[in-house]
Amino acid sequence: MPITDEMIRQATCDLYDRALRKVPDDVTRAMEAAMATESSDTARDTLKLQLRSAELARERDTFVCSDSGVPVYFVKIGTRAPLDCDIKASIREGWDHLVETIEPPMLKHVTNPLTLERGFHGKDMPIVSYDLESGADWVEITCSPKALGSGRWAALELFTFPSLEEIETYVLDVAIKAGAQHCPPVTMGVGIGGSFDHAAAMAKKQTLRAIGTVNPEPTLAAMEQRLKTAVNALGFGPMGTGGDTTVLAVHVDYASGHGFTPVAVCFNCWINRRTRVRLYGDGRQEWSE
Amino acid sequence: MAVHELSLPMTEADARRLRLGDQVRLSGEIFTTAGIPTHQRLLRCLDGEEELPFDLNGGALFHLGSLNAQDERGELTIRYMNPTTSTRFNDVMPRLIKGLGLRATGGKGGLDAACARAMQEAGCVYLSFLGGGAPIFGDGIRRISGIGWPEMISHYRLARIEVDRLGPLTVGITANGDSIYDRTADEAAGKRAAILDRMRAEREATEGRKA
Repeated sequence: MPITDEMIRQATCDLYDRALRKVPDDVTRAMEAAMATESSDTARDTLKLQLRSAELARERDTFVCSDSGVPVYFVKIGTRAPLDCDIKASIREGWDHLVETIEPPMLKHVTNPLTLERGFHGKDMPIVSYDLESGADWVEITCSPKALGSGRWAALELFTFPSLEEIETYVLDVAIKAGAQHCPPVTMGVGIGGSFDHAAAMAKKQTLRAIGTVNPEPTLAAMEQRLKTAVNALGFGPMGTGGDTTVLAVHVDYASGHGFTPVAVCFNCWINRRTRVRLYGDGRQEWSE
Repeated sequence: MAVHELSLPMTEADARRLRLGDQVRLSGEIFTTAGIPTHQRLLRCLDGEEELPFDLNGGALFHLGSLNAQDERGELTIRYMNPTTSTRFNDVMPRLIKGLGLRATGGKGGLDAACARAMQEAGCVYLSFLGGGAPIFGDGIRRISGIGWPEMISHYRLARIEVDRLGPLTVGITANGDSIYDRTADEAAGKRAAILDRMRAEREATEGRKA
C-alpha cells in the first residue's frame, strides 16, 4: 500500500496541532531537574508556573502559547518509501485545512515582510525543506511552529579558520545579546562549518534534538557541556527575572567546509514546540517529540 | 516572597510600594494589545489626531495578545491571552507611559533604561507575564468588556478585559526605576571575562587529555 495525499495532509495538521498543546516530556523532565538545583526563589517559582502551564494546556487540550508561530516542516523521504502522493501540495493543503478547522482558532502570524500584512498564508508558506534517507521505507515529517520570541534572536557569523575558543566566545556573545528575550529556559542549537545555509539548518535542527541525547562527537559533547554551564552562569534565568536556568541544553553539530567557517546559533523557547511522525505505506504511524 | 493582591486602577502608592521580584495578582480592568501599529495609533491619539477608544489614564496597559471577537449581536468573547515581547515597543513606551499616565505596564522580556526612567517619573510598574502561560492567564479572565479598533487583527486590537486575580505576575521594573533586566544584563556583561577564562581552562583540560 502506498503513502497517500490524505496521509500527508492529516499528518501536517496533526503535527502542528499537537506541537501547540504539548510540551515534550524530555523538556519538562529537564525543567524539573533544574528546579532541584536552582538557587533563586523567583526562578524556582517561574519554573513551577511553567510546568503548571504545560500541565493545564494538556488537561484542557488547549494552546500553551498564543503565538502559534509560522509553519516550518522538515521532510525526510525514504528512497524505498512507496509513494502515491504529491507531498508538496499535500503539505500546503494540510496547513490550509488546519487554519480553517483548529480549535481554538490560531492568531494571524504569517507576515508579508514587504507590507507587514498578516494572515495565515503567503509566499513560500509553509516553509518546507526536503531530504532523502537511503533505503528507508517511510516518510518522516518534523514540525516546528516558530514564533517571534525565540525566532528573533538567532544569529550567524562567518569566521576564517576559527579556533574552538573563537567559536565558543561567539556563541556566548549571541546568548548575552539574546538575554532573556526568548522565553528561557531555552534549548540552543549551534551549527559549525559547511556553508552559510547548511550551518543555519544544522543549528535549527539541533534545537529540535531531544534533551539528554548524547552527541556522538566527543569534542562537541564536551563543548555542549561547557556552553551550557557558561550560558547558565550569565544569570538571566527563567523569563529573565534572574537565576541559574537560562538554557536547558546546548546542542551542537558540525560539517566540513572550506576555511571560511559559518557559525550559526538558534534558540527554541521553553515550550520547545516540536513533533515528528514517520509514515509507512501500511498506514502505521510512529510519533515522537 | 511578597505576593500582592492589587485592585485596579492602582494608586501611585500601590505602584511605588512594589519591589523587584515581588509577585502580584491583579483584579479589575486591564488593557491589552500586541501590535506595533496599535502603539503608533496610541501616539497619534496623544497628538490629538485620533480619539482614544478608552480612557487609559492611570490604567494598566499590557503587551498581551488575545483571540477576541464580536458577534452580530455585539457580544464580545475572548478565548485566550498571553504576553508578547515588550522590548519591541521600547521606542514608544516612554511617551505612552508619561502621556497616558500609566500605573502599570508589562508583557515579557522587560523594557529598556529609557522606559525605566519614564516609569520612575510617572510612578508606573512593569509586570512580567509568563511566556507560554495562556492556560494560567485564561483562569484570570472574567470577561472582555470592550474592543477598541475592531478593524485591526485580533491581537492588535486594544482590548479591555476584566480580570480576577490575574497572575502570578513578577515585578520586573519598579516604579522607582529599578530594573531586573538592566541588572541581569549588566551582571552578565560583567561575568563574561571570567566565564571565558573558565571555559578556556576546561577546554585545555579536555582537549589536552584527548591529545
